[in-house]
Amino acid sequence: MAQPQPVKAAAGEEPQRPNPKEQVTVWPHLLLIEFVGALIYTIGLSLLAILIKAPLLDLANPTRTPNPAKAPWYFLNLQELLLHMHPSLAGVIVPGLALVLIAAIPYIDTDPSDTGVWFSGEKGLRIFKFSFVYTTLIVLGLILFDAFFTVNVGGVDYIGTRGLVAGIMRLFMSPEAIHAQAQVVEWIAGVVIPLIVMAAVPGALAAIVRRRYQANTRETIIALFTVFVASYFVLTVIGTGFRGESLRLVWPWQLKPPH
Amino acid sequence: MSRVGTPEQQPPAPGGRKSLIGRLADWIFNSALWKSMYMNPYPRDRRTRGLAVLNSLFLHLHPGRITRQALTFRYTFGLGGTSFFMFILLTVTGVILMFYYIPAVPQAYFSVEDLETTVAFGQFFRNMHRWAAHAMVLLVFLHMVRVFYTGAYKPPRQFNWVIGVVLLVLTFLMSFTGYLLPWDQLAYWAVTVGTNMAGATPFVGDKLKFLLIGGYDINQNTLIRWYTLHVFALPLVAAVFMGMHFWRVRKDGFSR
Repeated sequence: MAQPQPVKAAAGEEPQRPNPKEQVTVWPHLLLIEFVGALIYTIGLSLLAILIKAPLLDLANPTRTPNPAKAPWYFLNLQELLLHMHPSLAGVIVPGLALVLIAAIPYIDTDPSDTGVWFSGEKGLRIFKFSFVYTTLIVLGLILFDAFFTVNVGGVDYIGTRGLVAGIMRLFMSPEAIHAQAQVVEWIAGVVIPLIVMAAVPGALAAIVRRRYQANTRETIIALFTVFVASYFVLTVIGTGFRGESLRLVWPWQLKPPH
Repeated sequence: MSRVGTPEQQPPAPGGRKSLIGRLADWIFNSALWKSMYMNPYPRDRRTRGLAVLNSLFLHLHPGRITRQALTFRYTFGLGGTSFFMFILLTVTGVILMFYYIPAVPQAYFSVEDLETTVAFGQFFRNMHRWAAHAMVLLVFLHMVRVFYTGAYKPPRQFNWVIGVVLLVLTFLMSFTGYLLPWDQLAYWAVTVGTNMAGATPFVGDKLKFLLIGGYDINQNTLIRWYTLHVFALPLVAAVFMGMHFWRVRKDGFSR
């Protein structure tokens, strides 16, 4: 007689996993993994240390500013934001708020089901992929817009969000009046518009995944966290590989080493 | 698998003469010194293997047993453990660098140059320290991403997630404070950019920047502050938070 076979998981259900009760001793099963992991990393980093020299440029010279002057790579995403918005927003408020919101995740998503399941299952994975592509495209679009969108007002080029503001103001005001209102333009372009965009992009995504995927709280937070991960990734890559002299957009092969 | 790491599995052949290595092993493992160091006999069965972990200062944050699922590589990718291992590598290589590095303007730069050119393996340890620091930032970030996407922050692990976010910030700060120490053009201007960003904090920006760089310009005051933060203050705070983090992992249980 054939043994009764376990029922195959239906589509959408989480795949069958090994018996959760099965226990093994930490010595040697986990310790061996830890030891081999440590060994691999030590050997890998040793090879890296033999092959690639840590940078050491000329002695620091406060009177000679390199162009471009860049922060370490993990802060280049914030430096990239600096190009598009007010420094308080880019350097402090956005990262600070991001960290507080990330820390608050477990207190918003309090449902303990799906603990230990990647993306909470198939649907979460689809939401992750959609959110990643959505964010990447929008962030790239915004960067290109801020670099190339130009409005000429009375012989002066207003670029990016400043162009948008000047273009709208031109409907009501003379070019001279707009030039005189530089601070207002700067404030709307550097604070108001970025705030609206930074609220609208995740807000719209949350609305889309809720409607398109019938997402629950966990799945909506997957979408929102993916906005953070994808923009961190895209901004870091752009800041590291695509910002040359005077932080203008260039191709990576046009970058002058060391940068 | 279960035999790996456990030499001397075979009981001695009854009556037969032992090999030289066997007698040497007996002499070591039966010595009063060895027995006073280890509370348990060599772990050969389930019970002694559990005890070997529980009775060890260095291993006791591990449970004695663990579900096989928790070992699945494609679940954790070992990111948390390797982040911690980077911290250990950085401590070891960092102490070696400290023997030679002088946190003073401009000796700092020339001490790093010396380290690279005249100290045996100096260049190697500096490179290693640098790449391990980058690796740690990356691994810690990826660890956070992994924990989020597997829902491993869910109850009862909420607070450990918060500790994790603090550790992420500490990792950034440890890496960034180290950036200034070589006192070359890259260090000086990267830190200029970074502290200008901190100086943009609303209301307290100027004071915060003054505090961070110890004056109005990046100079000796900044270097000694960042050196102290980098080699002592931040690693100490991070070590305490890591202790809390690992303790909570143990107490809250594994997420799988």
